[in-house]
Amino acid sequence: MSEEIVEQPILPLEIIDKSVGNKVKVLMTSDKEFYGKLIGFDDYVNMVLEDVVEIDNEGTKSDPVKKMLLNGGHVAMIIPDVVA
Amino acid sequence: MSTKEEPLDLIRFHLDEFVLIKLRGAREIKGKLQGYDSHCNMVLSEAEEYIYNDSNDDVETKKTEMVFVRGDSVILISPI
Amino acid sequence: MSEFEKTDPSKFLSDIIGSSVIVKLQNGINYTGNLQTIDGYMNVVLDNAKECSNGKVVRDYGDVFIRGNNVLYISEA
Repeated sequence: MSEEIVEQPILPLEIIDKSVGNKVKVLMTSDKEFYGKLIGFDDYVNMVLEDVVEIDNEGTKSDPVKKMLLNGGHVAMIIPDVVA
Repeated sequence: MSTKEEPLDLIRFHLDEFVLIKLRGAREIKGKLQGYDSHCNMVLSEAEEYIYNDSNDDVETKKTEMVFVRGDSVILISPI
Repeated sequence: MSEFEKTDPSKFLSDIIGSSVIVKLQNGINYTGNLQTIDGYMNVVLDNAKECSNGKVVRDYGDVFIRGNNVLYISEA
């Protein structure tokens, strides 16, 4: 029996979609990071995050921001399933 | 019921009035708004440009009768 | 697994229109004020805006239009 294994490409937006409801780490194009729960995003990868901590280039964490809309235009990387 | 207002409307409402524009590179321009587009390219008359240095003493001022400001350097616009 | 609490950007924005927000720009400067309007480019109009640098109010503006490309994030104050 020959089985044809078709490799479905994994779409980047699918990975983000899978992270909705979970904590993610977002690395910006500048020396800034955001860590919080992803509650929504759009086609431009603008993201709505909850309980977000902003981390600057020295590693200083800000007070948690309850809810924010992060501009996707400055996002470099999104890391799902991360622990702080 | 008003149709949805958009941010650029604020600019439109102030045509022919004086506005303050904050630009990248520690610069500000005050002038009379003659025209603008969706990129925030703007034409100002009777314009005064302020260029700040590191210690923030209002270093340089330039005056022009008519100036074109390219939208991508615009940070903010506020009516005076 | 389920997305029952999913809030997408447009919903978030319609929820905060009219309220007091903090708009943080890429250059680190914050503007707080009442969110009047916002568009698809993240251009924002605030009224009663205050410009804050390093936590200190540096300037007051009546009405302010902020060009969206400078916006890092928008959150409720």
